[in-house]
Amino acid sequence: MNLSTTLLGRTYQFDSVKQVMAKANEQKSGDVLAGLAAENDTERIAAKQVLANLLMRDLRNAPAVDYELDDVTRMDQDGVDEAVFATIANMTVGEFREYLLDHRTTEEDIKRIRRAMTAEQVAGVAKLMSNMDLIYAATKMRVQSTCNTTLGLPGTFSARLQPNHPTDDVEGITASLFEGLSYGVGDCLIGLNPVNDSAASCAEVLKRFDEVKNRWKIPTQQCVLAHITTQMQAIRNGAPADMIFQSIAGSQKGNEAFGFTTETVKEAIALLREKGTSKGENVMYFETGQGSELSSNAHYGADQVTMEARCYAYAKQFKPFIVNTVVGFIGPEYLYDSKQVTRAGLEDHFMAKLTGIPMGCDCCYTNHMMADQNDIENLTMLLGAAGCNYVIGVPASDDVMLNYQSNAYHDIATVRETLGLRPIRAFEEWLEKMGIMENGKLTSYAGDATIFAGKAGL
Amino acid sequence: MTHEELVKRITEEVVRQLLEKKGGQDSQLSAKHPPLPVENPAALEQMKRRTPARIGVGRAGPRLRTETLLKLRADHAQARDSVFRDVNEGLIKGLGLFTVKTLCQDRNEHLTRPDLGRRFSEETAREIKAKCTLNPQVQIYLSDGLSSQAIDANAADILPALTDGLQDLGIGVGTPFFVQYGRVGAMDAISELLNAEVTCVLIGERPGLATANSMSAYIAYRAKVGMPESNRTVVSNIHSGGIPAAEAGAHIAGLIKTILERKVSGVDLGA
Amino acid sequence: MAKDTILSVGIDIGTSTTSMVVSRMTVANTAGCFTVPHLDITEKQIVYRSPIYTTPQLSGELLDVKALQKILQTEYERANLTPDQVDTGAVIITGESSRKENAQLVTSTLSGIAGEFVVATAGPDLESVIAAKGAGAQQLSDKESCTVANFDIGGGTSNIAIFRCGELLAKGCWDIGGRLLRFDAAGAVTYVSERLLPVAQDVGVELILGRPVDGPALCRLTDRMAALLAEAVGLLPQTPLCEIIRTGTSSPLDLSAVEHLDKVTFSGGVAAAYYDPPADLFQYGDIGPALAKSLQQAQGFSRVQVEKAKETIRATVIGAGSYTTTISGSTIDFSDEGAFPMQNLPTVLPTARQEQAACEGDSGPLLELLAWTARESDAQKLVICLTHTQNPTYRQVGLLAESILSAHRKALPGQPVLVSTRADFAKVLGQAIKRRLKGENTQVICIDGVQIEPGDYLDLGRPIAGGTAIPVVVKTLLFG
Repeated sequence: MNLSTTLLGRTYQFDSVKQVMAKANEQKSGDVLAGLAAENDTERIAAKQVLANLLMRDLRNAPAVDYELDDVTRMDQDGVDEAVFATIANMTVGEFREYLLDHRTTEEDIKRIRRAMTAEQVAGVAKLMSNMDLIYAATKMRVQSTCNTTLGLPGTFSARLQPNHPTDDVEGITASLFEGLSYGVGDCLIGLNPVNDSAASCAEVLKRFDEVKNRWKIPTQQCVLAHITTQMQAIRNGAPADMIFQSIAGSQKGNEAFGFTTETVKEAIALLREKGTSKGENVMYFETGQGSELSSNAHYGADQVTMEARCYAYAKQFKPFIVNTVVGFIGPEYLYDSKQVTRAGLEDHFMAKLTGIPMGCDCCYTNHMMADQNDIENLTMLLGAAGCNYVIGVPASDDVMLNYQSNAYHDIATVRETLGLRPIRAFEEWLEKMGIMENGKLTSYAGDATIFAGKAGL
Repeated sequence: MTHEELVKRITEEVVRQLLEKKGGQDSQLSAKHPPLPVENPAALEQMKRRTPARIGVGRAGPRLRTETLLKLRADHAQARDSVFRDVNEGLIKGLGLFTVKTLCQDRNEHLTRPDLGRRFSEETAREIKAKCTLNPQVQIYLSDGLSSQAIDANAADILPALTDGLQDLGIGVGTPFFVQYGRVGAMDAISELLNAEVTCVLIGERPGLATANSMSAYIAYRAKVGMPESNRTVVSNIHSGGIPAAEAGAHIAGLIKTILERKVSGVDLGA
Repeated sequence: MAKDTILSVGIDIGTSTTSMVVSRMTVANTAGCFTVPHLDITEKQIVYRSPIYTTPQLSGELLDVKALQKILQTEYERANLTPDQVDTGAVIITGESSRKENAQLVTSTLSGIAGEFVVATAGPDLESVIAAKGAGAQQLSDKESCTVANFDIGGGTSNIAIFRCGELLAKGCWDIGGRLLRFDAAGAVTYVSERLLPVAQDVGVELILGRPVDGPALCRLTDRMAALLAEAVGLLPQTPLCEIIRTGTSSPLDLSAVEHLDKVTFSGGVAAAYYDPPADLFQYGDIGPALAKSLQQAQGFSRVQVEKAKETIRATVIGAGSYTTTISGSTIDFSDEGAFPMQNLPTVLPTARQEQAACEGDSGPLLELLAWTARESDAQKLVICLTHTQNPTYRQVGLLAESILSAHRKALPGQPVLVSTRADFAKVLGQAIKRRLKGENTQVICIDGVQIEPGDYLDLGRPIAGGTAIPVVVKTLLFG
């Protein structure tokens, strides 16, 4: 294994695969904060050069966290199909990049190759990809999942409707929900981030979502994104939930910092099989985001792209319905500006799809970042082109609970119309029945939330 | 005119024009493009009363209407301005406070190096110790955090309301000061430096679009570097549209009294 | 913050019937974590309903206080309730009885046995709102985002309130009721209210004590009464008679904000007969069921959707028990918890100019107002209600405290300092007032978050949730 290279007359010698991986990253403030980033662009490119010549097995053999220490590593390594792995083990990472981009490599080929992937291999190849590489490669990596409806079919672009409210007022939440529905948003999920992490308040909101869904016969799914144990308590108490949410990290230590273990997730799935309100086989919802491991000091000296890829390896174990990165929420100390956020969003989507999970993205930013709405609209359009399963929609892009900006309800309709994409078919039929959508376009009734008001029978 | 002043002036102008437009029903813009007809206008008003979210905004094709777009951009400009500019020095002097910096050298470092925003140089530590009463019952200080505007908007009302309130309750207050480029965790270092029984920082919150004026108070009993975050009691949303600053000061005085009596803070105090 | 419950008693003494309900209200913090608490009533549960009694009367005009007292004692026993358990509530004397001369005696006697916090409240406007809330009309309009008018039709009056999307649009009261005319078993008139006479005259019906009235004449009478109710809310063009029989002390129902009505609900005793007509129209010896039948056939009401009210005959008593209490803001200040409850506190509302002067440290205009009000009303205690000042600076709060104290010392010497602010600054104002009272043994109570209009009276209940907030009853009218 060669960890040195010469670039522009200078020789670079790296200590470990882990260091090569970190320094090969595009610049991220989080890697700088962790003291892992390349000193400058030439060192970065030198690291990429070394990485390009490493073998896929070198990456598999260098997990970011030791096998003995960490159940994320164990599950990921144990899940590899050794026969498939043997077919790529001796490819260089650079060759593997070209293999993914090759016209002759089909969606079926990638489905097979996924069985050989560990997080470090996925992260490694992402580090060699340009932004357009990440978009192009992802277009041949569709991943479908089924809860009440099926997400991720070719030609679709879906959205989670996020009707957050600063005090969890159910009527206020319902108002934002109606507004979103009237823009054709919500085919992926109606999902609230609650202020109060209590089973009672979680149940109250779930009950309202269920009432609205039943009253209007909306083919979609619902979730309240409280802590996993809170949601489980609500469900045990009889609350109607289609799936269970949890934020995850790329190491066991990081997950413990989030207050759950692998056992907890297994219990959650078993509980949903027994008491959940959904029919399909995919019932988990995970959120991730580059930098979260560093913030809980659970990164083991690994860079944030690699740790993020490990989140997907972990998520894969539970056959989730949806996973998304909350890409710009964490703040400028991890992703400094729009350039870094755009890059992270494209990396995350590509890596998740190569891992084989149904990936979406919360294209967002906080007000202390060097980004604005234009940047996030760019990212959304790029992800739409890349075949991203879903994004998040909030009223006019302003989330009044989390105090950050994501996509406006309007943006979802815009991406669909611009790229010729549609909602999930069953949801589109419902929109047509309600008179909100026609031939994939909003009708003149769209945007009037009051078509739902007063007849809710709530 | 500095860049900040320019941004501020433009922001104010845009907001003023938008507000004017709202008031004048017959402005050209709304005359040409009436809002989309809604089936039940009273129901829309009712929905708007129930949430501060920007609902019922209408659309231009699938996009936002011009007024909505510009209002969003104006709110964002104001939010960013409040993050990136400094607190008004005259205000800090007027309150009789001295200023110290964390290890951050500038605003950019403050935003990207939260670890440095929790620590002080030895020289600064000496200065704090020299200028402040040691072993106070309650140590109060102000910090810009992620919104300088929050300090400008609230400090002059919350600080005297809080210190008077504590004094009336017979509680001893140390020497207040101002920390530039501060993160919440800096309070732990200050608590240890001055050996304060209770430490309370009044700090600018990361601004949302609704307001850039929001301040939080973090209060901890015997704060120590490395203690769990859950040891902090928080009062957030201090601004004219949330809990007004003067009222918050009186409220926090009572809260600190309870913390001193029970000798705990944070989750152990109960909500 | 733990949940807290308060027990509320509602007592309705109407022209014809009297009843009582006990409800338990849950008060909980509805604010998010990490913010200042906001206490609100989150749940109302009726835990006891009395039977409907015939209102005991002595001869003609007088309520039988002793008999009422006995009814209540029996009902308290049945409800397993002692007066000291009751936190809040209201006695409402509605309809014609409220004008009876011994009403004040009745309420003061009842307060004694019902619990110190249960107090009299009356006035046709408030009754309209209370009954509509008890009937579920407000909730209906809120839930279904529509405009709903509730008609609470009792023995003596019809109280009307109109809500749109949960917001009160208009309220009023008409002297139309089921017991304005009564007969004996033989059909001879035993009582006729003089308020019915203009209606009888209008339809050419002669009503003479001791003489029977024929069926068609009665129908003409009740049809006209029903039409007048439709006129009152604009469902039929208004005739001059409609204004003539409006209850003298009520507001004119202002229909300017009401574009159209979507739904109507009926409550009160007559409504019971509307939704569930008795076999014999005259079995009660009055015109209640006949009026109900006329309402069913009235042209005006055929234009709107009539919904079943959540409560009919008990709407007012349930409203009195469950909808008269509000919870103050959660940053308040008081010097002595033992001072509560306080009842029947008159209020004084300074003008914007007077408040502004006080905030600038000029107590003159406020003193003038306090002194004048104290003199005019003979009141010992006055709640100074600041309705204009928004977001005062800390400096202004200090000046305001000085102005209030200075005016108060001169106008109301020796009395507790009572202040209610509409905006959220009661705690800091209380702190500032107490700070300036150093050493003086004067009681200070400052509350906020309560809507008060000129002429209102306040009852302040015992503090709840560990002293965070207090239950407040705002009343519009007292007797005497």
